[in-house]
Amino acid sequence: MTVRERFPLLNSFLDGWSIFKQSLLGRIGLVLLILFALMAVCSYIPPLIDPMYNPMTGVDPAITCCTPPGMRHWLGTDFMGRDILSQLLAGARVAFMVGISAAVMSIVLGVAIGMTAGYMGRFIDTLLMRLADMIMVMPTLLVVLILAAVFGQLNIWTIVLIIALFRWPGVSRIIRGQTLSLKQRPFIEAAKVAGASHSRIIFQHIMPNVLPLAFLFMTFRVTSAIITEAALAFLGFGDPGTVSWGMMLQWVWKTGHMFKAPYWLLPPGICISLITLSFYMLGRAMDEVLDPRLRKEDQTD
Amino acid sequence: MEQRPQRASCRWFLVWAYAAMLFSGLLLAGSGASAGETLKIGILEEPKTLNVWRATDAWSNKVLGLLYQPLYVRDPKTLELIPWLAAEQPFFDEKDLSYTVKLRPATWSDGTELTSEDVAFTGNFINEFKVPEDYSKWDFISKIEAPDKHTVKFYLKEPQATFLTRTLTTPIVQKKEWVDRIEAAKKTEKPLGTLLNEKIDSPVSSGPFILKEWREGSYLFLQKNPRFFGTGQKIQGRLLGPYIDGVIFKLFGTSDAAILALKKGTIDMFWWGVQPGYMEDLRANPDIELFQNEKSSLYYMGFNVRKPPFNDPNLRRAIATLVDEDFIIKRILQGYGVKMHSIVPSGNAFWYCPDVPKYGEGLDREGRIKKAFDILRQAGYTWQTAPVEASGKVVNGDGIRLPDGSPMEKFTILTPPADYDPHRAMCGMMMQEWLRMLGIPAYSKPMAFGALLQQVKARHEFDAFVLGYGNLSLDPDYLRNFFLSSNDKPNGWNMSGYNNPEFDKIADGSAKALDRDKRQALIWEMQKIVMRDVPYLPLYNPNLIEAVQKGRFTGWVQMLGGIGNLWTFCELKPAK
Repeated sequence: MTVRERFPLLNSFLDGWSIFKQSLLGRIGLVLLILFALMAVCSYIPPLIDPMYNPMTGVDPAITCCTPPGMRHWLGTDFMGRDILSQLLAGARVAFMVGISAAVMSIVLGVAIGMTAGYMGRFIDTLLMRLADMIMVMPTLLVVLILAAVFGQLNIWTIVLIIALFRWPGVSRIIRGQTLSLKQRPFIEAAKVAGASHSRIIFQHIMPNVLPLAFLFMTFRVTSAIITEAALAFLGFGDPGTVSWGMMLQWVWKTGHMFKAPYWLLPPGICISLITLSFYMLGRAMDEVLDPRLRKEDQTD
Repeated sequence: MEQRPQRASCRWFLVWAYAAMLFSGLLLAGSGASAGETLKIGILEEPKTLNVWRATDAWSNKVLGLLYQPLYVRDPKTLELIPWLAAEQPFFDEKDLSYTVKLRPATWSDGTELTSEDVAFTGNFINEFKVPEDYSKWDFISKIEAPDKHTVKFYLKEPQATFLTRTLTTPIVQKKEWVDRIEAAKKTEKPLGTLLNEKIDSPVSSGPFILKEWREGSYLFLQKNPRFFGTGQKIQGRLLGPYIDGVIFKLFGTSDAAILALKKGTIDMFWWGVQPGYMEDLRANPDIELFQNEKSSLYYMGFNVRKPPFNDPNLRRAIATLVDEDFIIKRILQGYGVKMHSIVPSGNAFWYCPDVPKYGEGLDREGRIKKAFDILRQAGYTWQTAPVEASGKVVNGDGIRLPDGSPMEKFTILTPPADYDPHRAMCGMMMQEWLRMLGIPAYSKPMAFGALLQQVKARHEFDAFVLGYGNLSLDPDYLRNFFLSSNDKPNGWNMSGYNNPEFDKIADGSAKALDRDKRQALIWEMQKIVMRDVPYLPLYNPNLIEAVQKGRFTGWVQMLGGIGNLWTFCELKPAK
């Protein structure tokens, strides 16, 4: 028995990987993502070198205004003399944190609700799907803005939670559709006849079949979460205690450096675009892995 | 293949047509705005209302200040009160505690004469309906008489130092404009509410301009008032105009847009403080002229002294030591501001007391932490990890406990949001970090301005906050209002809840002291008490930088509070 045969999960992963690596989009996305992950990891280093590299509170004692890139500050300093590079690195950490946690939360919620609705059918299905419709039509950004205006500034985790709560309906609709089709398959019938409980059927038989789809959607959800957070922060409703890319853009804007300090304005803007792009590319490549119809003819199946 | 060039040219035609349309639209818009000698001013928000009783926001007051005029105004150089609608200085009669004011001949913009009746009406109206903005300036007046058309006599219940500086600088409104409205309002359940909600479309003006047109969301046009009493008159050696045909207030959503318009020459003046970030760029621009003036303002941190932990003055003093005003001014304000040591700005030289405790002055961060640590340790505070080790090394403190042994609970510093005022939001953030170095669990929380005021002023549900008064009166009576124990009530002036009978006594004495020097001594004493107990911690007084087009107009008058003042509008002349 080969290693592949002994671990079926590893086997399917390797199969998927061989398709994934043929996709140019996927490879670019992955490289970009690894770069951003490295940035996030490196964000812990600058404050250790010198307290002035602390992204939030550290200021260069010799600099009190916005300065262009130099040896001491590779990307320059902001209006108070804080290092832009350390802020950019810290921003990568925040982007991952916000993107991934919001996406995971919305996927968990979306999958659970989608499977329940699809499997239970009838009244519960109608109820859950109408709820999903209601939430789906609400503009997330607007709702968060209103909440921020009413309750004062929101904490970064509250923002993550709100994004997650508003982003599950799309996932749950897809998962429900998948569940509806799975429900009619013979192996589910067989499980029912064998006396399996509802929860066993849902979690043991249906879930493994919808999970790949859920992971695919997760990559797209990450993108939307990062953009929502950046937009919020840019408009001045982000968590003021967090150095995120949106927050950096807001500082450039509010202090009047928008047209004056490209070394401050461009890096966070480019990072937001690239990180969302990389997740999107990753998602497209995974789409090809999961959906044989999207593959080119000569690709392995 | 034959088809392609034709289709492409068709597409090009469409592109050109569209571009031409856009371009001509721009030209038209440009030509509409550039009337001969009209001053075009960029503003960020529209006036909230043109009802003078309800106008509390800066934008309404900018417009209304050019329409409704007071009896006395400040001289731009000396800041002394000089007669405006009044003809001469008021005459004080000590026997019956009355002031007599003679009026200049003046007319309202509708052609009727401005008489003592109008002045008496204004005062009586404020007292009868207790108009929130003005009542405290008029409530000590028992009677107003109008013996003849040009004489007004005010009778006071008690001597009041603020009568000249605050009462007589209230804008006068026309009786005729309001009598019918009052009759109607009296029949409603809440007459004051009805009057405040009254929509005024064409205010009757006694000032240099009259309202010609207001297209909401776009612009507001003020035209020269041909009946302005000051035209051709020499007041304080200044020959008054107005020499311009009118003023257009053009609405821009953001400073960026307004400053771009100024650079392009679409507007002549941007009537709002320019952020330091734009300075370098504007300074290098030969078409732009910049003015830098001091403001009479106070930006401060307030504490809720009604409850722990801030009911302990030692903690407040320690925080005053930790907060680095130099850092705030040098870095957050980019040097465009003045440090505040007392509640009264130092620019207000006569009333400012130079002899108040200056916490943490001249110390660096470590020095501040050590000094604050000493203050707290002596007051009985303890730590799990003390911020200063026995060897004198400064580390991150943790687990601070109050003198009674209970742990200090998390508290919040409320600030306006960054989009409203980035400076105050940033100050809150920095203070949070400075306090945390000492192990004090502070959380800075920016919140919407309206909600913040509700929480602080109306409900008193807060620990600490950062707020400001952008336009502080030159008379220091606010010092009394801020800290008088009787003002500690919902929506009252005393937001901190400071209660000190010793202070109350001196404060009441200061309000009744008519002798300037005697009053100065009392005001100084009050500042010393306040800075000893620190219910408010003054932070900074920002400078105001304003930008105008060079060469379009001359005669900008600089004074405390910037160039956007009555004198500028009366003296500004087209350059050619």
